[in-house]
Amino acid sequence: MSVRLRIALTIFVTGALTALGVIATVLFAFQRFEHETTFQRADAFLGRVVGMYDNIFEMHQRQPQEFNQFLRNLVLFEPDTQLYLLDAQGTVLSSTGNTQLPPGFKVRLAPVQEAAGNPDMPYVMGDDPERMDAGAIIAARVVRRALIRNDEPVAGYLYLVCHKPVLPEGRLQVLGSSIAKPALVAILGVVLLATALTMWIVATVTRPLRQLTQAVASISQGGLDDGARDAPERHLPPRTPDEFGQLTGAFAMMLDTVRRQWTALRRLDHFRREGVSNLSHDLRSPLTATTACLETLEGRWQGDAARTDDRALVEMALRNTRNAARLVQSLGDLALLDEPTFRLRSEVLDVGELLDDIAVRFGQRAASQGVQLQAQHPAEPNARPPVVALDIELFERAIANLVDNALKFCRAGDSVSLSARMRGDRVEVCVADTGPGIPEADVPHLFDRFYQARQSVAPSTGAGGKGLGLAIVKRIAELHAGEVRVDSTPGQGTRVTLVLPLAT
Amino acid sequence: MAATILVAEDQADIRDLLVMNLRSANYDVHAVADGTAALASQNERASDLLILDLMMPGMDGLEVCKALRARGRTTPILMLTAKSTELDRVLGLELGADDYLTKPFSLAELLARVKALLRRADVQRAAQSDLQGQPSPIRNGDLEIAPSKRSVRYQGVALDCTALEFDLLLHFAQHPGHVFSRSQLLDAVWGYTHDGYEHTVTTHINRLRAKLEADPMRPQLILTVRGAGYKMREAPP
Repeated sequence: MSVRLRIALTIFVTGALTALGVIATVLFAFQRFEHETTFQRADAFLGRVVGMYDNIFEMHQRQPQEFNQFLRNLVLFEPDTQLYLLDAQGTVLSSTGNTQLPPGFKVRLAPVQEAAGNPDMPYVMGDDPERMDAGAIIAARVVRRALIRNDEPVAGYLYLVCHKPVLPEGRLQVLGSSIAKPALVAILGVVLLATALTMWIVATVTRPLRQLTQAVASISQGGLDDGARDAPERHLPPRTPDEFGQLTGAFAMMLDTVRRQWTALRRLDHFRREGVSNLSHDLRSPLTATTACLETLEGRWQGDAARTDDRALVEMALRNTRNAARLVQSLGDLALLDEPTFRLRSEVLDVGELLDDIAVRFGQRAASQGVQLQAQHPAEPNARPPVVALDIELFERAIANLVDNALKFCRAGDSVSLSARMRGDRVEVCVADTGPGIPEADVPHLFDRFYQARQSVAPSTGAGGKGLGLAIVKRIAELHAGEVRVDSTPGQGTRVTLVLPLAT
Repeated sequence: MAATILVAEDQADIRDLLVMNLRSANYDVHAVADGTAALASQNERASDLLILDLMMPGMDGLEVCKALRARGRTTPILMLTAKSTELDRVLGLELGADDYLTKPFSLAELLARVKALLRRADVQRAAQSDLQGQPSPIRNGDLEIAPSKRSVRYQGVALDCTALEFDLLLHFAQHPGHVFSRSQLLDAVWGYTHDGYEHTVTTHINRLRAKLEADPMRPQLILTVRGAGYKMREAPP
């Protein structure tokens, strides 16, 4: 969940809760206000009645039948009210209600006394005999016998019950009520507006952050030197004098530092490649001259019995010079393959055929070592041929390096097999041998330049290109957008796999 | 009569060694130290073969090559280069050099290349002189090769081949049904056997197939013989 969404949600939930609280408060206050005004009106009404008729109790005693009608007339203009005459114990003596109350029906006396005795009460709630409800607004006045002093004992009460419903029952209906509805709509509107506004503000505030994120993403995808030089900077947000501006500034500085270091690194790498390339180039002429000298001498002394010892020396010198020459050539080739400008000359080819040819090429050498060398082909006759677009010279060189390496370590009775097979949209080319294998610790470094694994078991033939052959294989695989894998079990053999993308 | 060879090499040691060894191989050798002198000496007297160093002060090997070819000279040229870059190889061959050797090379290999280049030039001269003698074209099914005109027709369509592609095809056509390994083809067509150049054969067979075959991945004319090499399919009599 994005920060923007989280903030907007927080604002919305807070707003909605506030709105509910406000509505609840308003409803509560409204209800209380209604209760108070109702009570005051009822109380004032009773006060008027008591003031007008000082002999109510006597009237009831004289004519109990007509008294109901008298009470009804009193509340004729007071809608939603029921008037009762109670005796001192709360027993209903007369009522305006239509319901026939059981004889001797009593209301709770405590609220009656409270309403009658304490005119400062905001409102009192008591029993509604009609509805068997204890939550009605009531008013009450003491009724005494007429013409008697004020300290006469209480004869009874005039008891007024208001049952005009203030609000509908049930919480949800309350929300739909006429008071709550407009408030609800208004508050919801405000909340929504606030949320939208918040989202907009957050979006505006975090825009530099998003731009910065884009800039970082573009760098991590494209690197520092791909495309236009100013590409990452173009995405950077404008420098504002706030925290984002500071972050942008810090990021731009970091970018600058990284780029400077990167450029320095690239320059160094370029110098290294160029140095190796120049060195290899400059060594070629003296090596050519030396080789030619030694070959000339070798030719001259051929068959001269007096020169047997000298011939051995020349042969040794020649062998070493050739090794040096091969090393120099490998170094130069690797430097060339490392050049960013190097381009493959790709041709579409059935790799299986090339493997056949390579097996033939190394056949004699393998046979002389007593090693069985063969190219294996898929057993199924209609298998799709492993056709790949590749630079034939480089690819053959990679496979030849691997075969040469395998033969170097294999002993009589071992076997080397070449195979190519389809794996989805890739071709796997394998050179597998049953030689001594490679110690596990050496495997990760096998393709490092000048890392000569299996030194302990390497026969000291002095065969050239030491430590560079596999580095060249790896580089060739990379140039073909492929990779090299090595699986080796010491004592059982080694399998090197070149994985190449299929020709389209 | 001994073949005449011109060596143009700016490094005295290598030049002397080349001259010494070529002379002991019974060639008539003349040596110069730069491209300008090489071109001048060719104006005086044309050699049978040129050995040019690619990198020389003043006029380099490529420029000499270009200048000679521009004058219509077909003298075989062997280019020596200290750079093993693919680019140089292609440039050398495209600009008219017939072969190249990367330093450091072995003398034996150089001598083999020289011999092969001279032999090829002889064969071509012979073909040229045969032109009057109307040599019979070689036929194999739909394939028709006229060695004198160096032209190829397959299924009635004329094919455009490079010199080496033509020589390779001609060699196959002269021995239909015969299986050749890559090193045998290298020896017979290119004229030298040197480990590490077999890929050249693969490349040329691949290109010939692309020109000749309807589906180069399922060839019908130049067939692969697993574990042995390549052969041309024999047409039914």
